[in-house]
Amino acid sequence: MHEFDWSSIPNALPFLWDGMKISLEITLSAVVFGIVWGTLLALMRLSSVTPLSWFAAAYVNLFRAIPLVMVLLWFFLIVPHLLESLFGFPRGSDMRLSSAIAGFALFEAAYYSEIIRAGIQSVPKGQMGAASALGMTYGQAMRLVVLPQAFRNMVPLLLTQGIILFQDTSLVYVSALADFFGAAYKVGDRDGRLVELLLFAGAVYFVICFTASRIVRHYQNKLKTA
Amino acid sequence: MITMNKVSKHYGSFQVLTDCTTQVHKGEVIVVCGPSGSGKSTLIKCVNGLEPFQSGEIIVNGVSVGDPKTNLSKLRSTVGMVFQNFELFPHMSIIDNLAIAQTKVLARTQEQAREKGFKLLDRVGLRAQAEKYPGQLSGGQQQRVAIARALAMDPICMLFDEPTSALDPEMVNEVLDVMTELAQEGMTMMCVTHEMGFAKRVASRVIFMDQGRIVEDDSKEAFFDHARSERAQQFLAKILHH
Amino acid sequence: MGYNWNWGIFLQPTATGDGTYLGWMFYGFKVTIALSLSAWFIALVLGAVVGILRTVPNKWLSGFATAYVEVFRNIPLLVQLFLWYFVMPELLPENLGNAFKQSNPIVQQFLSSMVCLALFTSARVAEQVRSGINSLPPGQKNAGLAMGFTLSQTYRYVLLPMAVRLIVPPLTSEFLNIFKNSAVCSTIGLLELAAQGRQLVDYTAQPYESFIAVTLAYLLINVVVMFGMRWVEEQVRVPGYIGGK
Repeated sequence: MHEFDWSSIPNALPFLWDGMKISLEITLSAVVFGIVWGTLLALMRLSSVTPLSWFAAAYVNLFRAIPLVMVLLWFFLIVPHLLESLFGFPRGSDMRLSSAIAGFALFEAAYYSEIIRAGIQSVPKGQMGAASALGMTYGQAMRLVVLPQAFRNMVPLLLTQGIILFQDTSLVYVSALADFFGAAYKVGDRDGRLVELLLFAGAVYFVICFTASRIVRHYQNKLKTA
Repeated sequence: MITMNKVSKHYGSFQVLTDCTTQVHKGEVIVVCGPSGSGKSTLIKCVNGLEPFQSGEIIVNGVSVGDPKTNLSKLRSTVGMVFQNFELFPHMSIIDNLAIAQTKVLARTQEQAREKGFKLLDRVGLRAQAEKYPGQLSGGQQQRVAIARALAMDPICMLFDEPTSALDPEMVNEVLDVMTELAQEGMTMMCVTHEMGFAKRVASRVIFMDQGRIVEDDSKEAFFDHARSERAQQFLAKILHH
Repeated sequence: MGYNWNWGIFLQPTATGDGTYLGWMFYGFKVTIALSLSAWFIALVLGAVVGILRTVPNKWLSGFATAYVEVFRNIPLLVQLFLWYFVMPELLPENLGNAFKQSNPIVQQFLSSMVCLALFTSARVAEQVRSGINSLPPGQKNAGLAMGFTLSQTYRYVLLPMAVRLIVPPLTSEFLNIFKNSAVCSTIGLLELAAQGRQLVDYTAQPYESFIAVTLAYLLINVVVMFGMRWVEEQVRVPGYIGGK
């Protein structure tokens, strides 16, 4: 049996916290960009302009069909080259964090757009009719009547997707970016205490995600009874 | 056949049934009525143990329902039940709906079970639908199948839990006709229903419930002609005016 | 932009001399398929059991099932994979752990990956099974019991056959997920499809071709699974039954 030695963790806490900040930074920026871009995609998908709805459908289906790891590899290995050759960025500049954020945002937008589309469709058709009858334009009706109701219903799903996204940020490991998991792995590898650090990382993720999903569920129940 | 003695039930602090006492004798048809929320559905579900109760006792054919040692499955297989929403099994054809419990619970052979099933479908006028699925039948037809399914188990008595209240009005009578016929053949029945015409035609006794209590338990003549309690009179006045 | 496209690269012999680059890709493709299918099979069985347990009227059993689901849902897949691959062998009884560590590295990678994906997915399958059972009208269970079925017979003949049909569409997306999630296993060195794509980039200096090829391979898997599951859906469709409630 393995003899546990947790002594390398206390000293490593500042380093691990730096990693956690990166994880949170990626999560938050990707959630914000993902929701904005996802909303636009959902509106395109539902619009009557055929090229727009086709584009949105193709985008969403493409990103939902390929593994996140592949998307991240595209963004770490290929997109920087592309940018270098297109815009003459200096070779070898460290774009890993921005690549990661861009990759996650574009990837998650596909998932967000499906949640948002379902949310918009869950608002009864009569609401759009009633808004139009009051003389609102399509844009006004969408902005003032449909979207607010849709988002209210969607908030729990959007937050749950955010928790999944937070878990998925650990995959930036493929670019050797020191997010929380990357930091834990590095410390464990350095001190020969991989077992302890991995268990610690798992426990931290569990506590954060479990608590967050409990809060979301609580909010969801409140929505239901309201 | 069925004896209830001071049956009480509560969910937390909410009292659903209070000291319900009555008997159903062999061959009797009892109609249970009352305003919604009065506990009549709960009472009938206590008879075959689908709803547990905290105090009192129910004896069905000599077996105590509340006794933890009682084999409830065995007891239930002798008591037929028909539900408000039919509850046919949507993934099985009509004939399989009739056969499944016969083979799995009573250990009849597939041939015996199907033969019995066809006979009962004949009886409720649905032989032609035997190979269809529940979703392809009308509500009234589904409820007749549900009655046939219960009868296939050769029950010693039948429980009906608002069998017509989920039906479109034009389908109510086809179901009541089957129930009337059954009553006339001497089946022991306990029916929760608002169909007062049915009660007048076939009931031996009427039980009126309000707020979890049995308020009236009398012959149908006594109940309809001079109900004693004010609440029963009000209830009848509301229902019979339509 | 000065990039030399060369799709012929796939037919060239590899730098290590073991066949062509296309052969590498195909090997990775086979590993992805084998890994995903074996993990999927285990996930279905485990997920069904755990999902059913979550709905039974027994506090201990349903509590255990809930804890199971929460653990596997709230730890990132990558972390779970590393726990299975690096930590589990250390926690096993010594002879078992050593036997694992002395086995062929490919076997180690494959087994860890399979167990990880299977358990991770089983928690999600369990959630689908549970919500499938719970979405059936409550009267169905009573109807089964009222006919004299025992609780387990009621599950077997009444609840599960319908629940299974209701969850085919959501299971399709879990089935797709397991192929996508299998790409995570490249991180412990398993040479599946994504890892082969990456290796090709290192060896050939033709990154676009190899990444496009790998991406297309995932799209192909996606399309095949979707058609397959649609076929399954049609096979189990109940005549006259319109959706769940």
